[in-house]
Amino acid sequence: MAAVSPARANTLLLGVMSFALLLLMAASVRGGVAGLAVAGAAGTASAPIVAAERSITRIVLDVIHFFRDIDADERENVKLRREVARLAGELARGGELSQENVRLRRLLGMREDLVPKSVGASVVTSRLSGQSRIVLVDRGGSDGVRPDMAVVAWGGAVGRVVSVERDFARVRLLTDPNSGASGVIVRSRVEGMAVGRGADPMEMLYVPKYADVVVGDRVVTSGLDGVFPRGFGLGRVTLVGAPIGASKSIRLEPEVDDRSIEDVLILLQPSGTRLLTPEEPEVRP
Amino acid sequence: MIVVWALLGIGLALGASLGLGSIAPWATRYVDLTMLPMVVYALRTSQRSSMIVGCTTGLLQDYWVEPRLFGIDGLVKTILGWALGGLGARFDLNTFWGRFAAGASVHLLDEGLQAGLRRLFGEALAPVALPTLAIRAVTGGLLTAAVLAIVGKLGTARSAARPKHRKA
Repeated sequence: MAAVSPARANTLLLGVMSFALLLLMAASVRGGVAGLAVAGAAGTASAPIVAAERSITRIVLDVIHFFRDIDADERENVKLRREVARLAGELARGGELSQENVRLRRLLGMREDLVPKSVGASVVTSRLSGQSRIVLVDRGGSDGVRPDMAVVAWGGAVGRVVSVERDFARVRLLTDPNSGASGVIVRSRVEGMAVGRGADPMEMLYVPKYADVVVGDRVVTSGLDGVFPRGFGLGRVTLVGAPIGASKSIRLEPEVDDRSIEDVLILLQPSGTRLLTPEEPEVRP
Repeated sequence: MIVVWALLGIGLALGASLGLGSIAPWATRYVDLTMLPMVVYALRTSQRSSMIVGCTTGLLQDYWVEPRLFGIDGLVKTILGWALGGLGARFDLNTFWGRFAAGASVHLLDEGLQAGLRRLFGEALAPVALPTLAIRAVTGGLLTAAVLAIVGKLGTARSAARPKHRKA
């Protein structure tokens, strides 16, 4: 029998491995057992590496934060004093508005649940490559996290949970090309769908070409997608281009810079459209 | 012993890659540290070992940072290991420019293969920015050349320290 040359044997091995890996990818898309088993083995094998990496990273981050804080404290102090003076005035005005809000809500017979139940999480690692933008957070199924829960940070919406393990969860960022959230322009109440485009600015789709949108408009979640409660910042309009078909071409600068996310909140109640609920009748003795 | 070194390399690359994603997330756009073990094995050992090292590293990476297509990095790095291992067997790439070209090209091909496979599985693709690709290629090339130089130095030191067998 003629011996197979090493180059041919390697090409054959490539074919076999490629076929097996394509099957594995197909299985993982369908949530098959084979995909889960191999993924589980990979996770178990690399867990000690990740544990060591986390310990080292934490020390490095602490050192970085220490030096950054020393420099920032002085400037922060001056800024905060000005902010306190400004907020004192705002507070007085806010009190008036709050009372008015309560009166109007009573008139409408509605109440608003502004504080959805949530759990805080820290980012373990991120991948912000061209075609995939994901962060890994240190809360998982044991903390009540489930797929499709909304993830937010100070400033706005971050993304949604796509898969959950016992102690961590993978979050697909809003800037990922396969992400999207329904949004509304605060000023004109025009609705659309904000979708990610990788490292490029986000795009807002399905906005009628006659709609009132200008550069600088703020876009927040509308709550219609059933994942994000309404009111979380999505971004600001940076470009209103020529209409494509019946739709305006709009670019958004994301409200949360995904290159600097360190801590997030995972909203445990998928309360996209359930913010407004009828007020319970008062019980009188 | 070769397996222990391979596992050590894979572990270091994976740990460094995840650490980079935590400390400087923006940098993950320009460099993929998990590519390094595969390139080192392709240029220093054999085509087969670079394929196996690439596949293992890719699968471990997929588990932590791939939301949907588990196996995509494994497949991409297997193909790149095969291609680079084949070239490494035919040409002498162990010069600075050879290593630089190898590192730069695998970082570029990685983007292309990822995009193609994602399209195959029905995912939406982001537009490709040419300046980002250029930075990625240069960073990948320089890093590969630097790591291979360090590995070469370590290899020389190790063989010098090893006791020589005496002839009877």
